Amino acid sequence: MPIVELHNIRKVYDTKVAVEGLSLSIEPGTMFGLLGPNGSGKTSSIRMMIGMTMPDSGSVSLFGQTFSRSALHRVGYLPEERGLYKKMKVLDQLIFLGRLHGLSEEIARTRALAWCERIEITEAIGKKTEELSKGMQQKIQFIAALLHDPELIIMDEPMSGLDPVNAALLQQTLIDLRKEGKAILFSTHRMDQVEKMCDEIALISRGKLLLSGSMREIKSHYPRNRLHVAFTGDDGFTRHPGVAEARIHAGVADLTLHDASSSQQVLADALSRGTAITRFEVVEPTLEEIFIERVRASFGDAEAGGITHE
Amino acid sequence: MSSSLHNIMLIARREYTERIRTKGFIIATILIPTLMGGGIFGMAAIASHNTTQSHIAIVATEPQPAADLKQELENGKDTRMTVDILAPTPQAMSTLDQQIADKKLDGYLVIHPASGSQPATYDLTPRSSADISTTSAIKDGLHSVLSREFLAQHGLSAAEIDDFTKPATVNIVGKGGRKSDSTTSFVVAYILFFLMYMVVLLYGMNVARSIIEEKTSRVFEVLLATIKPHELLAGKILGVGAVGLTQVGIWMAAAGLFAARAGSMSSVTISPTQAIFFIIYFALGYTLYSSVAASLGAMTNSEQELQQLNMFLMMPLFFCMLMIPVLIGNPNSTLSRIVSQIPFCAPLLMNFRISLSMPQPWEIALSMALIVVTILAVLWVSSRIYRVGILMYGKKPNLPEILRWLKYS
Repeated sequence: MPIVELHNIRKVYDTKVAVEGLSLSIEPGTMFGLLGPNGSGKTSSIRMMIGMTMPDSGSVSLFGQTFSRSALHRVGYLPEERGLYKKMKVLDQLIFLGRLHGLSEEIARTRALAWCERIEITEAIGKKTEELSKGMQQKIQFIAALLHDPELIIMDEPMSGLDPVNAALLQQTLIDLRKEGKAILFSTHRMDQVEKMCDEIALISRGKLLLSGSMREIKSHYPRNRLHVAFTGDDGFTRHPGVAEARIHAGVADLTLHDASSSQQVLADALSRGTAITRFEVVEPTLEEIFIERVRASFGDAEAGGITHE
Repeated sequence: MSSSLHNIMLIARREYTERIRTKGFIIATILIPTLMGGGIFGMAAIASHNTTQSHIAIVATEPQPAADLKQELENGKDTRMTVDILAPTPQAMSTLDQQIADKKLDGYLVIHPASGSQPATYDLTPRSSADISTTSAIKDGLHSVLSREFLAQHGLSAAEIDDFTKPATVNIVGKGGRKSDSTTSFVVAYILFFLMYMVVLLYGMNVARSIIEEKTSRVFEVLLATIKPHELLAGKILGVGAVGLTQVGIWMAAAGLFAARAGSMSSVTISPTQAIFFIIYFALGYTLYSSVAASLGAMTNSEQELQQLNMFLMMPLFFCMLMIPVLIGNPNSTLSRIVSQIPFCAPLLMNFRISLSMPQPWEIALSMALIVVTILAVLWVSSRIYRVGILMYGKKPNLPEILRWLKYS
């Protein structure tokens, strides 16, 4: 039984089509990455999953049933931008949000304290939110979404504004939650995070689904036609007829081949020219490359520029 | 339904406890009555010391009426002037002008006696033409002196003249032959009117501000992922309203204690009827105005934008203020009865009328029913505007868009 199922949803704001014919489903115990450039409809889709807005057409199901607000107690949501009361003390705030999700005051307090310890933010408990750094506020927001032990966790850009140490800490926490059998959906435009963490992905652009499925499946559709070569000396091999595209910088060449089978010919060509090869690797396309290619194919370069890898 | 109530109470409780702890609440609770009390005492003090103490000169050829006028101005009811009497020599005139220039004299009056068919004329040269109190004291003094002189010439004794000029006393007799003090009921009605006016406006704006705050801090997104917009709206109105009631309660208790201590409770009393109607109309009025304020808050993105829209709150309240003279003039006139039925005015004006003279029971019942119906209508509109408006950032909605929001649900 899928935890979330979107069927052909469409949402139009005035004249702008935010989401067009989007369908996807998320199984329990899955880490699902919702990818897309800025303004592609990620947040709009998420808002429809939690009933904050209604789709103009199409259907949303949670836990195998047509969407109803009573299911929201089983969902944890982290919005794209921080949403905390600035003047409220952290613990009071967490208890308040926990109680809104139906917890009793004592349970909310116990869990809030346990979570603060788990993600190393105990020192913030007695402070007001406005006294915290952006990253710390993000961690508090993270706890607020998980306090009521939801079966479905939806996070809109969860890692933005975090330093690498804290980003890794939260990533590990999410991975642990998935092991416990929770379904996790998060949106991002950072492909490196997705490659590391996600089992399944959906790529959307301009509100339309470009690509979806398991990570393995998607990559297997793309040929291993990329070469990563570290060399010194003659770079003539980069102009071999089998090479479609070459980028050379500081003794490293990234080549794209017309045909995956010609990699050995390129290597032979390099050796025959006397080029010293220190590293020769056939690499699978990164998700970023796949995505840029797909977005370009459908909309052109400008749109593809909206994704980054930092 | 019970979980809905649970959510409303949670929101209301948070709103209440967070607000009551703020420095702003504590400062306003202490400062506003202090300022108002200070203002009232200050006005009273100014009014009681409003006797003129100017120094003037009278230039006259004959001793009368100059001597009587001097007597009147120096020892009259409201005047404690210093008056010099001089003969009209050219030298005296130039001295007087010099004294005015030196600010030693506040003005001088030249009396030209009657000659033949010409009546007497009086020329006043004040140092400042804006010194109205001196001018009017001289006018009143002259009038009184001349009247007495005229009556004396026609053979009345001083005692008869005193008797004749004494003002008549009018007793205000209420229903049942009880003597009542009309100024007291005015004062109470005014105090209650402005208290309600202020608190409704202040806390109505607080509801709007609180919504904008949640909007800018994006707390809404988190809240709306669990609870319904109308629960949020209801909780907010309840919570902020409870803070307003607490503040008024503190003020009233403090005023009661103060009055009991000072033993002046007899002069200004709030009858139980007034208190009960005040509470009912306050609750209704506050709910109505804060529902309107909530939709204003949901439509805007910042306090600056709210400032531009808050005339929607101010205008009906201001209209109520304009209508007060009409109500005082005749609380039971047709106009008074009509304006006190307008739902946006009824909380203030009907309550004011109750303090002045009790309207018909059906009028009170009708006004309350109309307010309740209006509240329901405004809440219906507000919760729809709220629902769509709170998720709209950045762009300011125009009227057609707001109308379109009403169709969504």
